[in-house]
Amino acid sequence: MTCHEVTTVIDAYLDGELDADQTANVARHLDTCASCRRHVEEREALSVLLRRLPYYDAPPQLKTAIGRTGRSLSARRRVRTWMAAAATILIAAGTVGGLRSVRSSQETSATADAVIARHVEALASSSLIQVASSDQHTVKPWFQGKLDFSPPVPDLTSAGFELVGGRIDRIGGRTAAALVYKRRQHMIHVFVWPASGNVRASDARTIRGFHERHWTSGDLSVWAVSDVNDDDLKMFAAAYMASR
Amino acid sequence: MSQHTFETVVVPHLDAAHNYARWLTRNDADAEDVLQDAAVRAFRFFSSLRADNPRAWLFTIVRNTWYARVAQREARPHVTEYDEMADPRPNHHPDPEAQLLRQQTVDRVRRAVESLPLDFREVIVLRELEGLSYKEIAEVIGAPIGTVMSRLSRARERLIDLLGPAALPGEVR
Repeated sequence: MTCHEVTTVIDAYLDGELDADQTANVARHLDTCASCRRHVEEREALSVLLRRLPYYDAPPQLKTAIGRTGRSLSARRRVRTWMAAAATILIAAGTVGGLRSVRSSQETSATADAVIARHVEALASSSLIQVASSDQHTVKPWFQGKLDFSPPVPDLTSAGFELVGGRIDRIGGRTAAALVYKRRQHMIHVFVWPASGNVRASDARTIRGFHERHWTSGDLSVWAVSDVNDDDLKMFAAAYMASR
Repeated sequence: MSQHTFETVVVPHLDAAHNYARWLTRNDADAEDVLQDAAVRAFRFFSSLRADNPRAWLFTIVRNTWYARVAQREARPHVTEYDEMADPRPNHHPDPEAQLLRQQTVDRVRRAVESLPLDFREVIVLRELEGLSYKEIAEVIGAPIGTVMSRLSRARERLIDLLGPAALPGEVR
């Protein structure tokens, strides 16, 4: 066999798709040809890497829902009308909608937890602020080139919130802009990152005495967290949103 | 084997179908929608299933569901997406942690696979992750075995190029 002939069947060879004779021919060629062997080694290495890729199992609730839909439809299988088909689709659409809202709610809680945990951690650490300034025109440009989005850094002094500074942070695997504002002795953290589909667009909650409010501004997700009272945080959120 | 019901024949392959859908769509929400729609279709066509290979049959339905959506969503030719070589998610994390993460092999390989055109991506997934034979892949994608072989070969070449031919064997050791 020539190198060219080997090249055309090299994948079939590795995938066990050649018959015994062809396989033996390729193997003989490989014994004597370092260049073709190199191609085989590259492909084998690639295959090892590919087998480490994530395998995405179906979400268990979805599997259950499909199984259930299947069962209930088997029971009235003889009713083969368009209405039955339409009902099937409706049931299916319903489960997906339901599922997504469950997931969205879980993800929202998880994110709120993470945001509050970061708030507490950062306040206790020495790296709370990477750019210290009460001037929005110092803080905002600092983020330039460090993020692939531009967080709003409004001056909220007139509303009673003083800008302290900002830093880059990571929350739940995302890179976020963290802004720190102050009201009296209370610190307010604002975390900003590009919005993704799975979190409720806006919501508020109170966990362990911390208040958290988040909303979507354009294509950015904004999370504010503090131990100030909830009315103050609501005011802060309103002022922040209005400043855009 | 006494009972060929939807539950005993199709439901066991839902994980594989979801995995395939996830690699086709590259996101969770679309993958779930596709699996859901495909399951509905699978049920409707269940009586026409010749029971020899329900997994490949389900893959075909998943694939048709997604291709139909892509065609509907974007009025562009739905077989190849050669313009997709760029990583769909921008990845300009400035901090060292993100850079470290980015360098991690699995992530790199995943992104390389996700950057492949749809028709290359699916043969890689069907062969390397699902272990289908060329004949089964041909059945799923509705193409001759020769096409499967050449597509797979080109997809692998592309991945080796993307991941760096020199780096590949070293990374495995």
